[in-house]
Amino acid sequence: MGNKQTIFTDEQLDAYQDCTFFTRKEILRLHGRYHELAPHLVPMDYTNDPDCKLPLALIVNMPELKENPFRNRIVESFSEDGMGNLSFNEFVDMFSVLSETAPRELKAIYAFKIYDFNVDNYLCKEDLEKTLNRLTKEELTPEEVDLVCEKTIEEADLDGDNKLSFADFENMISRAPDFLSTFHIRI
Amino acid sequence: EQDLVKEFVALSTRDRIRAIRDLPMSFEEKKHIRLLSQFFRRCGYSIRSARQTLELWQGIMKEIGGKFGTSVLSYFVFLKWLLMFNIFSFLVNFGFITIPLLVYDPLPNIPPNVSFRGLEILTGAGYFNHTVMYYGGYSNETLVGLVEYNMQLAYFFTIAVYMVLCGLALIFSMARSFKTNYVLAESTSNGAWQLLCSWDFSITNERAVRQRKSNLRVQLKESLSEKAQMELLTLSEKLKHFGVHLGSWLLSTGLAVGCGASIYYLCQYEQQEAETLLVPFVVSLMNLVVPLFYSLFYKFEHYSSQRTQIYALVVRNVLLRMSILGVLCFYWMNVVAKKFSCWESRVGQALYRLVIVDFLFLMLGSFFGEFLSNVIGTRLLPRLGVPEFDIARNVLELIYAQTLAWIGIYFSPLLPAIQIVKFFILFYLKKVSLTQNCQPPRRTGRAAQMHTTFIALLFFPFFVGALSMVAYTSWSLTPSEQCGPFRGLNNTFSVVGVWIDDLEEIPGSQWVVWIYQHVIRSELFYFLITLIILVIMYIFWQVTQGRKDLIGLLRQQIVNVSV
Repeated sequence: MGNKQTIFTDEQLDAYQDCTFFTRKEILRLHGRYHELAPHLVPMDYTNDPDCKLPLALIVNMPELKENPFRNRIVESFSEDGMGNLSFNEFVDMFSVLSETAPRELKAIYAFKIYDFNVDNYLCKEDLEKTLNRLTKEELTPEEVDLVCEKTIEEADLDGDNKLSFADFENMISRAPDFLSTFHIRI
Repeated sequence: EQDLVKEFVALSTRDRIRAIRDLPMSFEEKKHIRLLSQFFRRCGYSIRSARQTLELWQGIMKEIGGKFGTSVLSYFVFLKWLLMFNIFSFLVNFGFITIPLLVYDPLPNIPPNVSFRGLEILTGAGYFNHTVMYYGGYSNETLVGLVEYNMQLAYFFTIAVYMVLCGLALIFSMARSFKTNYVLAESTSNGAWQLLCSWDFSITNERAVRQRKSNLRVQLKESLSEKAQMELLTLSEKLKHFGVHLGSWLLSTGLAVGCGASIYYLCQYEQQEAETLLVPFVVSLMNLVVPLFYSLFYKFEHYSSQRTQIYALVVRNVLLRMSILGVLCFYWMNVVAKKFSCWESRVGQALYRLVIVDFLFLMLGSFFGEFLSNVIGTRLLPRLGVPEFDIARNVLELIYAQTLAWIGIYFSPLLPAIQIVKFFILFYLKKVSLTQNCQPPRRTGRAAQMHTTFIALLFFPFFVGALSMVAYTSWSLTPSEQCGPFRGLNNTFSVVGVWIDDLEEIPGSQWVVWIYQHVIRSELFYFLITLIILVIMYIFWQVTQGRKDLIGLLRQQIVNVSV
């Protein structure tokens, strides 16, 4: 608690520490990263909760997200307006869920949101096709794409409605121990 | 009040404020509780922050994880974790054993005709033999200074407590890893998993991402066009497979036993000082060459899945290293202990030599393993391609190096210092070698289960083996007469007996004596404890079986309900 910083009040920092998995130092560092994305837009003084949102285009250019095939969906899932404009709180929230210490249940919820392209709370075949195309640079033939998505739904769909609900997805995640370490972005 | 504070510390700010407001206490008491819970929360956060400032190598790990993925990063995380064991060991040993002796008697008593030559750094003998580096340099007296410091008890209890703490840390780590990572036998290398769970979000390097995408494409194509591996083999084919498996296992076990026997034979040749380097050299050479030979076996051996193949390779390598270490320990305890005076120092020197030569070979192995493979793969035989980082082999080398340090703690208390330097340099060496020579792994996944396997391997057999050897030494072998803190006693453990006898005269410590005589030295106690533990294990096993059945039933119910 040594150095006097004037970016946040102590209560704000306590609130961030309570609501995310970050420490004081990491939150200040995150603010630095958020600020350097748009130095003229982001104020250095957050003590009176300024209403500042950065657009999607700026955030997906961060080195941690630039090469990720799902970068747009990640940012959209954490933005309140669904268009990808993140305030600082949402920015911190995003990296908190993607950090190492976030529990599996929390990560599963957001992973489901990310893969759900049409935002209908189900992973239907079109969502899976879009996911697959992002992951393979669209070099599989349409028949192969179809086959893989069919197989996925067949394996993971437990209640037989031909699409994956959150329960199906979570059941599959619980059987994949690597998920905790792969669904992780270091900042 | 303690319980209230504990509860409130765990709540969020708003809940805490509401809960405090609801308390039926006076205002002064509520203010007091509020201050206490805030204080504990702040403490918790500053501990977390402090732990973060001590984090070593964060930037490098992020870079490696970004380019090579999580499974390669797990090697470096494991290396860092082992480094922490050694730092702790060094601090404990240096603080409790070496510093009191240095304070009391700063100059080592070296005989007049021994001086420092360069060879000591490799062989550990000569000048080092008379310093605090080894067991022989420690006295058995009670040092009288500011306080009375009993060196015998200090030596014994420091080593014992360190080993117990290591064991506990390993057990907890293994249990936690098992709980989060080990899944009840579901096959997850299928299409759904590949599509939805296998993408590594932490990769940030463009080329690595492109490569992962093409790997995933290849894997998906493979799994689509895979004919069922459950081909019905004819009886003769099954017999042939069985014969090949039996032959290769016999061959690998025979090799391991043969290496052990030849090491035992070579141990007889350690007369002069320069010759003492022969055994460590041969040991490290075997550890380098024979695993390469084992990995050639896969050309004619067919396993049902790649995972079984990796496990078979790991088991063979472990057998090899265990047999070599076992033979060496046998030689030290049965031949060296009876032949030489001050034999503990000699064993300490042998371990020092093993550690140093192992380090040299690790560096060479990095050169041959990765650099040469890269050169061969890119220039000479382009068909082979750029090599991948062989995680299993490297982790086994780390486990072996750490086992040497654990065996050596009793005989050479400052060996962890060398281990710290070794691991430190190894980290940077492997990082440079990785980034220059290797490509990211092609097959993804399985990292979590391999991690569990590695910790389990570290604990059992390697740690348990090291612990047994140290325990056997202190329980059964007679300490040497002329040197060391336990000279003149029948065995090391009798230090505790002597201490308890002394304690009997001091009033007020009768309970310690009672515990020693009726709990630690009574066989009935251990028998009862073992029985109780076996019963508890059986109950837990049955509970797990019941839960497995329940999962199957519930899954069936979901299908039935929806149809």
